[in-house]
Amino acid sequence: MNLILNQLNKLTYKQIVMYVLLALCFVSSVIFVNNNYSFYERPIAKVIETKLEDTTKVTDMHNNEDQLFTQQIVAELKNGDKKGELIHLTNQYSASGAYDQEYQVGNELFVWMDTNTNEDGVLTGSIKNVKRDKYVLLVAWIFIFTLLFVGKKQGLFSIVSLAVNAIILSYALDMYVKTSAISLLVACSISAILFTAISLLLVNGFNEKTYSAVIATLVTTFVSLFIAYLVLWLTSEEGLRYEEMQFLTRPPQTVFMAGILVGSLGAVMDVAITMSSSIFGLYEKNNHISIKALKASGMEIGKDVMGTMTNILFFAYISGSIPMLILYMKNGSPLGYTLSMNLSLELARALAGGIGIVLTIPIGLYISIFFVNRKRAKS
Amino acid sequence: MNALFCLAVILFILMVVIGGKKGAKSFIALFLNFAVLLLTILIMTDPNANPIILTLIACTFISCINLFFINEINNKTITAFVSTIITLAILLFFIVVVTEKSMIQGFGEEETEELSMFSLYLGVDFVKIGAAMIIMSTIGAIIDVAISIASPMRELYNHNQQVSRKDLFSFGISIGRDILGTNTNTLFFAFFGGYLAMLIWFKDLSYSLGDIVNSKIFSSEMINILCAGIGVALIIPITSWITAYYLDKTREKSH
Repeated sequence: MNLILNQLNKLTYKQIVMYVLLALCFVSSVIFVNNNYSFYERPIAKVIETKLEDTTKVTDMHNNEDQLFTQQIVAELKNGDKKGELIHLTNQYSASGAYDQEYQVGNELFVWMDTNTNEDGVLTGSIKNVKRDKYVLLVAWIFIFTLLFVGKKQGLFSIVSLAVNAIILSYALDMYVKTSAISLLVACSISAILFTAISLLLVNGFNEKTYSAVIATLVTTFVSLFIAYLVLWLTSEEGLRYEEMQFLTRPPQTVFMAGILVGSLGAVMDVAITMSSSIFGLYEKNNHISIKALKASGMEIGKDVMGTMTNILFFAYISGSIPMLILYMKNGSPLGYTLSMNLSLELARALAGGIGIVLTIPIGLYISIFFVNRKRAKS
Repeated sequence: MNALFCLAVILFILMVVIGGKKGAKSFIALFLNFAVLLLTILIMTDPNANPIILTLIACTFISCINLFFINEINNKTITAFVSTIITLAILLFFIVVVTEKSMIQGFGEEETEELSMFSLYLGVDFVKIGAAMIIMSTIGAIIDVAISIASPMRELYNHNQQVSRKDLFSFGISIGRDILGTNTNTLFFAFFGGYLAMLIWFKDLSYSLGDIVNSKIFSSEMINILCAGIGVALIIPITSWITAYYLDKTREKSH
């Protein structure tokens, strides 16, 4: 207890204000999402009673066994002119839950109301979707608290840069969708320049180290994008299956290229700042260090990060396809077909990103050395 | 010629030219990781297999490949390995609860057209598969942070054997803070790039904000990004603590 009091006494006025503000934001946003029913136009109902009615075993044509359940739900409407009335819903779900799920008391659902009540005067309807906003918000808060707790100031910076980048991306996509004049690649290239400048300057400040990382990131990203484009053009995109993007009403090739650009940007930035901070760090420790020694150390550092960085991209891209892969395999699709349908774009993205990461090592190294030389000439 | 093959060859050549022997090893590691991932997915199709346990086993193998094969077995990779597994286990528990509560497993209503030709009653537990998916997407980043903290901590210890355990720990945390921003950034952009098609599609459909936030596809991807960030932050204190503890213990033994 004394320890906590000691800690509290150590807090500065500014910190106290920050903590209070944070707590206020947290509490008010949680209260808001739990009571924001009137902001939705679609009717929302809260489950107050469930009854399991029927259980059947099913076997599909591929001999997959599953269980189907039927559940009768009574729920209370939370918004609209029928607010407070009860609605009866039927939910069919399976044990595996690929597309459906069991509902429990307290769940909130978006519903369609039937226009006619049945003969008993009971309101009926069907379930459209689950109200997930409060869960997304809660996880977002856990994320914010973890980052602030572990990272303190740096954690705050990464949250801010994430939010700013998300807003820029959303705005760029808006521009692209609304005005057909701007091509997606141009929109994403402009945002890429903004992303790089903002993320790196925000965390590392205005200095030569950051400038060299920004230049290295942009040069490498566009070089690797060009390589990816060249390869796709030369091989006439053989082996790439765009079916998983078939829902798009836009050319999938462009969207895919823009995805490569944005996707590899973060990793390239990471390697670029690692290279430039270590080169500048070595120079600051010893102002007379030879260029040859800088090159050798830079390459060593590069070798260390290369493997793990490509792995980050690889897992981030491939893992998203796991449920789809399982769906294909369980439906008796051959392995080769399953993989090419679901993984070709992800693999291409990971490989192109990997090329970007590896290229950043020499490019970042030489640009940093250029800046070091300039600094040396000045002093 | 196949575009994927061509890209893979370019990547291999670049890795060997720039990274030498270590580059070649990193490239082989990519293939081994892919093999482990594929094998895990194949076993997951068995309804009797528990995807959570499978994921933990797969993560152990993947960590072994990335830590012990690319680097070597020594006290920095061992502490990084132990911290990775502990973080993944904690994270997995959290993610299973989140997936179950928010009902983001499986496929969204936007995908129904594509799915209409498939049977969806498959007997495998999609909640657990969804959690496995989120864990797998962050494992690369978690391993990266673990080794980036453990290795300079060992350097510090080697330079100054007298350094206290508390100083070691705070040194680890300060390194972690420096890489936290760039690492979360790497993940975020990778996810943004992967979800670009979906984001454009949501804009095209002119969904309202409420529709987007509550839709299964968007909320599951949001939660995936956030959990990845939580994982990257969580591994920092865990690795720092375990490495400091381990180095402290080895010092006591040697005296």
